[in-house]
Amino acid sequence: MTASTKQDAPSGEAVANAPVGRPRQSRHDAVTAVLPGWLRVVVLTLLVAAVTIPVGYILVASFMPDVDVANGQIVPDEITTQNYVRMWSTVDLAGGLANSLVVSGIVAIISAMIATITAYCLVRFAFRGRLTILRGLVALQSLPGTLLLLPIFVLFSSARTYLDITIIGTRFGLIVTYLTFALPFSTWVMVTYLRGLPRELEEAAMLDGCSPIGVLRRVVVPLSWPGIVVAAVFAFLLGWNDVLFASVMTRPETETVAVALQVFGLSQEGGAIPLYGQLMSSALVCALPVVVLYMIFQRYLVGGLTAGGVK
Amino acid sequence: MPAGAVRQARKAGTTGRPLWLMAPGGLLIALVILVPAVLALWMSLLQLDQYSLRTWLSAPFVGLGNYVEAFVGSRLLHSVWVSVAFGVLTTLLTLPIGVAAALAAHNAFRGRALVRSVFLIPYVLPSFVTATIWRTLLQPSGAVNESLSWFGIDGGLWLIGDRSFWTLVLVDTWAAWPFIYLLALAGLQVIDREAHEAAALDGASWSQKLRYVVLPYLRGPLALAVIIATLSHINNFTLPYVLFGSPAPRPVEVLPMLTYTTSFQTVRFGLGSAMAILSVVLIAIPLFIYLRAVRLDTGNRAGER
Amino acid sequence: MAATRRATTWAAIAAAAALALAGCGGGGGSGGSGSGAGNGGGSTGPINVLVGASAQYPEQQKEWFTHIKDVFKQRTGADVNFETFASAADEQTRIQTAVVSGEGPDVYSLGTTFTPVAYSTGAFTKLGPAEWTAVGGKDRFTPATLAMSGPNDTDQVGVPFLSRPFVMAYNKALFQQAGLSGPPTTWDQLVEYGKKLTKDGVHGVAVGYADNYDPWKFVWMYANQYGNPLIDGKQVRLDDPTVVRAYQEYFGLLTEDKIVNPEAVGWSNPQALASFAAGKSAMMLMTTPTSIPTLDASPIADQYVYAPMPAVPPGEAALPAGGRPATTIVSGDNIAVADYSRNKDLAFKFVELVTSEAEQAHYTSVFGDLPANAAAATTIINSNAKLAPIIEAGKGAVATPFTGAWSEVQLALTNVAVQSRPELAAGAVPQGAIAGRLAEAQQAAQQALDRAGQ
Repeated sequence: MTASTKQDAPSGEAVANAPVGRPRQSRHDAVTAVLPGWLRVVVLTLLVAAVTIPVGYILVASFMPDVDVANGQIVPDEITTQNYVRMWSTVDLAGGLANSLVVSGIVAIISAMIATITAYCLVRFAFRGRLTILRGLVALQSLPGTLLLLPIFVLFSSARTYLDITIIGTRFGLIVTYLTFALPFSTWVMVTYLRGLPRELEEAAMLDGCSPIGVLRRVVVPLSWPGIVVAAVFAFLLGWNDVLFASVMTRPETETVAVALQVFGLSQEGGAIPLYGQLMSSALVCALPVVVLYMIFQRYLVGGLTAGGVK
Repeated sequence: MPAGAVRQARKAGTTGRPLWLMAPGGLLIALVILVPAVLALWMSLLQLDQYSLRTWLSAPFVGLGNYVEAFVGSRLLHSVWVSVAFGVLTTLLTLPIGVAAALAAHNAFRGRALVRSVFLIPYVLPSFVTATIWRTLLQPSGAVNESLSWFGIDGGLWLIGDRSFWTLVLVDTWAAWPFIYLLALAGLQVIDREAHEAAALDGASWSQKLRYVVLPYLRGPLALAVIIATLSHINNFTLPYVLFGSPAPRPVEVLPMLTYTTSFQTVRFGLGSAMAILSVVLIAIPLFIYLRAVRLDTGNRAGER
Repeated sequence: MAATRRATTWAAIAAAAALALAGCGGGGGSGGSGSGAGNGGGSTGPINVLVGASAQYPEQQKEWFTHIKDVFKQRTGADVNFETFASAADEQTRIQTAVVSGEGPDVYSLGTTFTPVAYSTGAFTKLGPAEWTAVGGKDRFTPATLAMSGPNDTDQVGVPFLSRPFVMAYNKALFQQAGLSGPPTTWDQLVEYGKKLTKDGVHGVAVGYADNYDPWKFVWMYANQYGNPLIDGKQVRLDDPTVVRAYQEYFGLLTEDKIVNPEAVGWSNPQALASFAAGKSAMMLMTTPTSIPTLDASPIADQYVYAPMPAVPPGEAALPAGGRPATTIVSGDNIAVADYSRNKDLAFKFVELVTSEAEQAHYTSVFGDLPANAAAATTIINSNAKLAPIIEAGKGAVATPFTGAWSEVQLALTNVAVQSRPELAAGAVPQGAIAGRLAEAQQAAQQALDRAGQ
């Protein structure tokens, strides 16, 4: 079957003629606004409230003793800052954060790289089996992690038996696992994104003698930052939030923060109340690096097209 | 990839098709997803339980026995129904919220970076933290009911009975709308300026502009978002597990809870694998019908300009 | 050529990525090594030990790890690496993946109710006379704790490590105000006390109806006291009238006797404990000595007393014929050595060390879990008034049936309570509904038992 690579992207002419070096944040971008001002305020207010009210409760609860949290109190009987002090020694929170940042960071970078390259091939070249691959990638998303956990573990541990390569317990094993799980979706994100880009620039570059790889590097990637950032963000969060694989594939030194956090929710059968207060404080502290990272990278969410970053 | 193969691919690719670039991704997916999936398929044909786990390679082969038991002797179909209803409803709820958020956070305003990051918080909290927090908030005398009582409303029991299903939908909606938002926000960046300017020149109202300019551009990303979001809701294990405990109450007995309980709590991996594979089949078929309907994979959008 | 240069750039990026990956592998690998393979087969260690993480005493646990490491190093010259799991679910997954792959820690701490499942995998070293001698002999353990070591006296895998019997706690001050002097000795008396104590916003007892584990323990306890051990040889007896009665009495504390806060329908055990700790419930059922950290930090720190739960079932003046005075399951942790371990000698030396009188006494003084070591237990009875009643309860503990099917029986029993919760919240669980759910539970449990017998 011949896959159609006909693009339905908006006219590329306008883009090709886009003024070069326009400031990243155009002051005149009111024209690109969709919602009228009042509606924007309403939407933003509602959503910020929807997020910050429960998060505000986490903040309040992070200063409560465990019993008050367990009783569901809004106003605590006493206020304590101990949760913020103790959480660092209850588990190796700092080590877990470092592991998570390293693992998720590498996963984000490599998976975005591979996804961009793969998506480029899938979008720009017609070849047999292309549709099957595209559909297959979506189908892979329907495989539940609980189904694959045991087989993957068997596979990785046999790498040690037969090849003498230790995978279980290493960051490498986690990275490879998350990287691969992130790939189908990251690739699709890039596929939908690249489809939206005009071909004309690439064709012009090819005429100038650029190889496909050169086109990829000099034209496609600079235009695709919003897609790449999103693909990377999702890959990052996949590794950041996973507990299922991390709990069986890590050792104390390689434990990720999501696994470490579980200890705060731990209760022995018929035992003490879980460390709810520390769970709240640590949840906030652990969300912080990701939020800050996103704050830094979100400026790349400005379209490559509107930013006029093409040289 | 060996250098020789590269050179050959390069030579063959006179039309400029460096398909070998797909090798790393393909290799990883084959090794870490496809091979384990085949292993899982094999396991689903075995009587694999605590008695045979250790020597699983020689576990008794029962053919389709596990599949028959999953259909006849378990609540699989009930779980598929609960899961699909949950997944679809949650996606339907998160879709408009996420798109609205993206539209609102698209343009520059003071504090936009902060708002964009705040929107990410529900998605950044690990699932079990989100679930623990909501379980605390929603307990009988928890903060939610406490606040409702200020307005004279009796909140009742959120985590018990038929209402627990809606609680699950609402909590997952709270946790998952940023996913749609992130994809929609990236999609908005592709819309070229000319289209906006043309709409402005035509004097289009915002709803016209949304309908005729913006949404056509977002159709691709959103069609993808709908599929992936629905699948990830259907596969969400941690949220119902922490909210309702195990074994799950009937109204929230979603597929991952059923397969988890079967595989890991009653140690029947063969049956659990069969259940998971059956559910994949039951979900994958409608998925492919949807894929064709929206022409997501070919890129030819229905209703193209 | 331009193309060559670009290819080189890409190769460099790929190489950098590969290096980054390899670097990570190396860094983590050093930590992950030593779980058996690659040590030349000699019994030189190190051995890896998997235990539950202590959320309440994290610093003390770290110190205990160091302490044991030092002593063990001194004695054997080998190292011990501790790993922790964060939840029961986590523990099960770790064990199952280890069993299937033959790779993992050398020594496991196993919950008593999970031991039968672990035993049935055949992945743990059987304890023959030589092994028992190596760990100091069976005599060093409190007899009741040995009941969950294996299916019978000669076929065992688990060495008793810690004991955590289930007991009740009551609030001395609230009892005195109600004119009550000591704990109830029959369930009818407990209900009677509960009614006296339920007033002024305080409820008689705290029960976690929405807990993942509590419900089956109540039902198991009542059924045993009525004379039904739930598993009789090859026959599961969940569809027995005694079991229906057990559920009715369990739910009845809330619906009939009204001595439980109606909100308890949504409580797990920690929330019930929080209610007791806040002085809003006068008695806490189904608790263990590991609740001490919560209670000691609460307003009732000076007021709480542990006592065994009553052994005479509801509606009876004395234990019925055939009934067993079961107030707690044999609860706690066993310690087992993986069969795939290449350091079994060292592993058993480790087991010997942590079950010795000195180490057991030390462990109890730090963490509050009770010793399985008999001599250490005697010392505590004589010296610690708070823990003494718990140790007494533990001596009378009754073992849950030792079968690989037990986890399914347990789950089936809990499921009946879970599915009854909406009716419980509405105020009454009809007998017919309980019986119907039990019929389903019976079927699932019997099938599981049949598979175990194959």
